[in-house]
Amino acid sequence: MSDIDTRILSQLEKKTAQPKYISGQDDPWSAFRQVEIITLELIQQYKHSLGKYSRFFIELENGRFLGTKCSRCQTVYTPPRPLCSKCTKITDWHELPGTGSVKTYSVMHYSSNINDDVRVQAMPMVLAYVLLDGSSTLFPHLLRAENNEVHTDMRVHVTYNQGPVQHPIHLMYFAPLEE
Amino acid sequence: MTDRLPVVVGVGLTPFAASRDDCNVRDLAVEAVLACMHDAELESLHAIQHGLTSYESDHFNRQMTLGAILHDTLGLNPTPNVRVEGGGATGALALRTAWAYIQSGLCDSILVYGCETNGKSISSQTANQLFALSADVDWEMMVGGTYTAFYAAMMHAHMEKYSTKREHFAHVAVRNRRNALDNPNAQKPMDISIDEVLNSRPIAEPYTLFDCSLLSDGAAAILLSTEGWAKQHSPAFSVRPKVVFTATGCGTDTMRLGDRYPNLTNFAGKREAARQAYQMAGISDPLHEIDVAELYDSYSGVEIQAVEDLGFVSQGSGGPAIADGLFDRDGYLPVNTSGGLLGRGAPVGATGIAQAIEVVQQLWESVTPERQIHNARRGLTDTHAGIGTICVVNIFERRD
Repeated sequence: MSDIDTRILSQLEKKTAQPKYISGQDDPWSAFRQVEIITLELIQQYKHSLGKYSRFFIELENGRFLGTKCSRCQTVYTPPRPLCSKCTKITDWHELPGTGSVKTYSVMHYSSNINDDVRVQAMPMVLAYVLLDGSSTLFPHLLRAENNEVHTDMRVHVTYNQGPVQHPIHLMYFAPLEE
Repeated sequence: MTDRLPVVVGVGLTPFAASRDDCNVRDLAVEAVLACMHDAELESLHAIQHGLTSYESDHFNRQMTLGAILHDTLGLNPTPNVRVEGGGATGALALRTAWAYIQSGLCDSILVYGCETNGKSISSQTANQLFALSADVDWEMMVGGTYTAFYAAMMHAHMEKYSTKREHFAHVAVRNRRNALDNPNAQKPMDISIDEVLNSRPIAEPYTLFDCSLLSDGAAAILLSTEGWAKQHSPAFSVRPKVVFTATGCGTDTMRLGDRYPNLTNFAGKREAARQAYQMAGISDPLHEIDVAELYDSYSGVEIQAVEDLGFVSQGSGGPAIADGLFDRDGYLPVNTSGGLLGRGAPVGATGIAQAIEVVQQLWESVTPERQIHNARRGLTDTHAGIGTICVVNIFERRD
């Protein structure tokens, strides 16, 4: 690391690479073994529309849980699908009570670490796939249960919080339902 | 159509590694293509009529329009080029596309080269963001989910429905890394025990560290052509067993696992891909009619699901069949003799091509003696994207 050229602010390393991946005596790339490695920083930020999903997230602010329903085949989608994948028909918004049952899950010891909402979570945490009462599909979200105790067919409910959150999906999570 | 079935003219690949910081992605592609050219005993690439570039991510490789740039780098201008992308299935989808290009008469020869730098050059924070983009970005990744967890939730459902045990898939983690010991191109050969897999640190339960496959830098290339083109241009072609790319199938499934309810345990898209490929190849009993296979072991349990969905064993019986050694190197149908994604590694755009190379070289009987399967006549590759969101099954046969 001593021969770093301080005039090149991004420089990380200069070295002569060993041809360890070349078998035989003659390295055909012997004249190309000097390697310089730099930091390449690309900052990507978007104005990201939640599009036709938006009303789902907006209603979370109001403590309401919406799916969509196909008026032809009666399938209820959570997360919502604006277009029924069975009928190729535009769906209708459909409110659900927010109670349901865990159908499969994983206790995660690492998260996607994708936003501040996730980064503040204590690990491990449970990713639960929940069949909400009245829905046809499973909704994936974090299940906050004591000691991460979870089992298949465990009853849970949507719990709303006031934020602040970075991504509106975190205006909700699942918690065990006392029935 | 039969007289235009593509034959394999040459193959080449770089070793797979966690970091090839002596190379950028162009250099890796060049290494693989040169190896392929030498394997086919071509003097140059000039007679090749078409190029096909296989890579998953502009972000992994820090380059857009990489197809055009690699085509240029290789000196293939002004011949046509097409780039193919299909997530984890990219390399297999690339070969399938090449199959169609030759079958259609669009070209008589096509160089399929795949590469990816998704190893250590990508910081963990950047990798998290890029993998988030490869799932449905507004939903399960944003709540904190990871691909390991999506696969783990599938495996959990499989364990509950079929009494599959962690020891069953730990067998895959052990066997594929041991197979890699005899592959000099493998990234992470290891001789570990079932207990070491079970006791390695949990990542997303039931999966532990050793149940998870590798992130890699690497490249792979295959030259396909009509038999006539191969005879005319490649001296190597007539002196080794003829291997024909006889069949290809592709199936798809929903992006999000929850949308598949109540089918959570297996890959419906893979069953569809296999059905198409078997029909095309005239296979009715795949366990007995396939001699060697490379399966997409992105996680150890995925191989259990794969042997079921490919019809090697019945639904739910994959775990015991694997633990009994049915798919070991000395078993009835050896799989992942290369080491698979667990042992050899997985530079995404190269993975499906590298799987095909292992199968082709098994049919040529040109792999290292320790891992050579004798008298193999028909081989299969199984590759998928997401959690089986795009699935491709390709079949290669020795015809001599």
